[in-house]
Amino acid sequence: MTATAQAPAPVREAIVATGVARSFGSVHAVQDATLTVPAGSVTALIGPNGCGKTTLMLMLSGLLRPDAGTITVAGHNPSTDAAAVRASIGWMPDQLGSWDNLTCLQTLTLMGEAYRIPRATARARGVDLLARVHLSEFAERPARVLSRGQKQRLSLARALVHDPGVLLLDEPANGLDPRSRIELRTLVREFAGEGRAVLVSSHVLAELDEMVDDAIFMSQGRTLGDDAAAMVADAKTKYRVDALEPQVLHEALAAYNVPFEAQEYGAIVRIDDAHKAAQALAWLVQQGVAVHRFGPVGSALEQTYMAMNEERR
Amino acid sequence: MTTTAPTGTQPPAAPPASAPTPVAPPPRKGNPWLPTFRGVSLMTRIELRRRRPSTKGYIFYGILFAIVIAICIAAAIFTPAQLSSTNFEIVLIMVLGVGMLIAPSLSATSINGDSGEGVLAPLQMSHLTAGDIAVGKLLASWTVSVFALVALSPFLIYTYLSSGWRLGEMLITIGAILLVVLTFTAVGLAWSSIAARAVASVALAHLTTGFFLIGTIIVFGVSTLLVTEEAPDRDRYIDYGQMTPAAEDALNDAYMTGDFSALNADDYTCIDSEWAYTVTHTEKVAWILLMNPAVMITETAPIVDPETWEEDGRAAPGVFANVHQLLSEARLGPDDELTGYEPWDECADLERQISAAAQVSDEDMEAEWAETEADWEARQREVANLERAPWLGLGVSVLLLVGSMWIVINRLRVPYKKLRSGTRVA
Repeated sequence: MTATAQAPAPVREAIVATGVARSFGSVHAVQDATLTVPAGSVTALIGPNGCGKTTLMLMLSGLLRPDAGTITVAGHNPSTDAAAVRASIGWMPDQLGSWDNLTCLQTLTLMGEAYRIPRATARARGVDLLARVHLSEFAERPARVLSRGQKQRLSLARALVHDPGVLLLDEPANGLDPRSRIELRTLVREFAGEGRAVLVSSHVLAELDEMVDDAIFMSQGRTLGDDAAAMVADAKTKYRVDALEPQVLHEALAAYNVPFEAQEYGAIVRIDDAHKAAQALAWLVQQGVAVHRFGPVGSALEQTYMAMNEERR
Repeated sequence: MTTTAPTGTQPPAAPPASAPTPVAPPPRKGNPWLPTFRGVSLMTRIELRRRRPSTKGYIFYGILFAIVIAICIAAAIFTPAQLSSTNFEIVLIMVLGVGMLIAPSLSATSINGDSGEGVLAPLQMSHLTAGDIAVGKLLASWTVSVFALVALSPFLIYTYLSSGWRLGEMLITIGAILLVVLTFTAVGLAWSSIAARAVASVALAHLTTGFFLIGTIIVFGVSTLLVTEEAPDRDRYIDYGQMTPAAEDALNDAYMTGDFSALNADDYTCIDSEWAYTVTHTEKVAWILLMNPAVMITETAPIVDPETWEEDGRAAPGVFANVHQLLSEARLGPDDELTGYEPWDECADLERQISAAAQVSDEDMEAEWAETEADWEARQREVANLERAPWLGLGVSVLLLVGSMWIVINRLRVPYKKLRSGTRVA
């Protein structure tokens, strides 16, 4: 093998989109989307229903032509080199589609062949992938007997038949049982560990918190770049302190000029990291505050999402 | 078997022991759309496998074939001892009918149905080009009609043996039938790529087929009105109302006996009757009929001479030969010699009879009739032997096929510029 200058040196930025827009008639599905997904990381795409997530994913996957803006996926431009873009992407659509008459293994084998993988290799890969998504016992059964969650996993396996460098997962957790969700989380982390860039959209924000490295928020067809990122960073520093007598807590904090948000049950304070949190708790106890609950406020993504959606009202 | 494949008995939670099978799909460049042999054959395989009929489907096909086979058996049984092409032609019509019913119905739900089920976009994401998907789907639907042909082939061969057709002629006509079925399968596919809903595309596909099969005949019928000319004519009749009873009896006697010598021409008055007769120049609009795919198929059938078919080793003119005659009649248009109207003058006729007084011998009359009959037969032979004209229909068929596939490939190319209204991509 001769290494050329362009040879598969890992592309750091697997997906780069700038100012992407697309409308359907008078409906502006995506107005201005800008995002970057580095290789080997998981990025969440978060937004309310109908904010343009799926449309954006379709444009990234090279199925839909943007009206404006530029996209680069794995170093290729979908408008001039769409085939290369599609070949480098594993796409799991939000719509469940399966060939009901074919078995799971046939589905994966034929799909592999559609990527010009020799049949025997495609079949072996199909067997491996079915094991990976825990569908091995359904390998020889027709896809129509699968439940919704199982079809979802088959769809995930199908997105991986050609070993893509970029994964676009549209609502992958839909219809999965709790165990499968946790397994999905592990799988998605594994994909990133294998060097793939993963862009995942979901509504289950608590799930995403533990899965993603970065999050992109979308609202009304626009990505909320730095503002949202700042909000997420801010949300991550929030600690909730519940005291038996909130009044005492408020007084103690006020006395030492600690900024806080007073709450019915206690207060919300901003603490940079775990070490400082330990110190803060010790200090509060020392001040005679009867703290009965102390911890991060909750899903940073969820907080940001809720804060962002307040604009909608 | 690969060593990495876990057996089904392993606990489902166990992750695969080794790394998954490495795959190396070839790189892609640009945005190809042309069909490739490999892609088309894979797509055809996928389609044939996944559209395997369900139990109900097999029952439906079973009933359909039972009916068709019953007709074919009847056609085979009632094959007379001498050569007869009609039975063979009925089997050919069955092949065409079954093909035209099944294949376009299948193809007309192929693209919008897949898109609705969410199985089209993953294929578009793969290395399959728009051409691969389009042609693969076309061939898969069409293959079902070829199965129909294979299923009916015993009857086809049996009836062919006594049809007086040559082998090459049979192959050409079957080729024409398969081409027409392929064309209308492509039309169905085009509709399914245009219409969002399966109901609409199936209806439109059958309407298009109906237009070409029946509509062309109706359009031809209507358009003959445009090429119909009126030609005024004047006839003269003997006025029976002003006749004396004696003169009437004498006239009746003369007609009975053929002896007109006793009549006096002055006893009979004449009346004029003016009316318009029409001449339809069907030769100007016959091309509409030639566009009909069924006519195109019959035009590929061998020519059967109504005079010499026995010496030629043919069967008597059958369905296809009769269609050819009717069509040729339309293509040639009215024959002035035969159908050109000669005014009828009863009075002049009577006067001639009186003056000639039975000078017209029976031989002369017969010679005159014989001449008329010879003219008519010559016309029949001319009509029957008129050169076959499948070319226009063939051209229309190929044009429809290419045009439809062009539409389908364009609609399947991604990235989409426009979407069918009311649909999603995935």
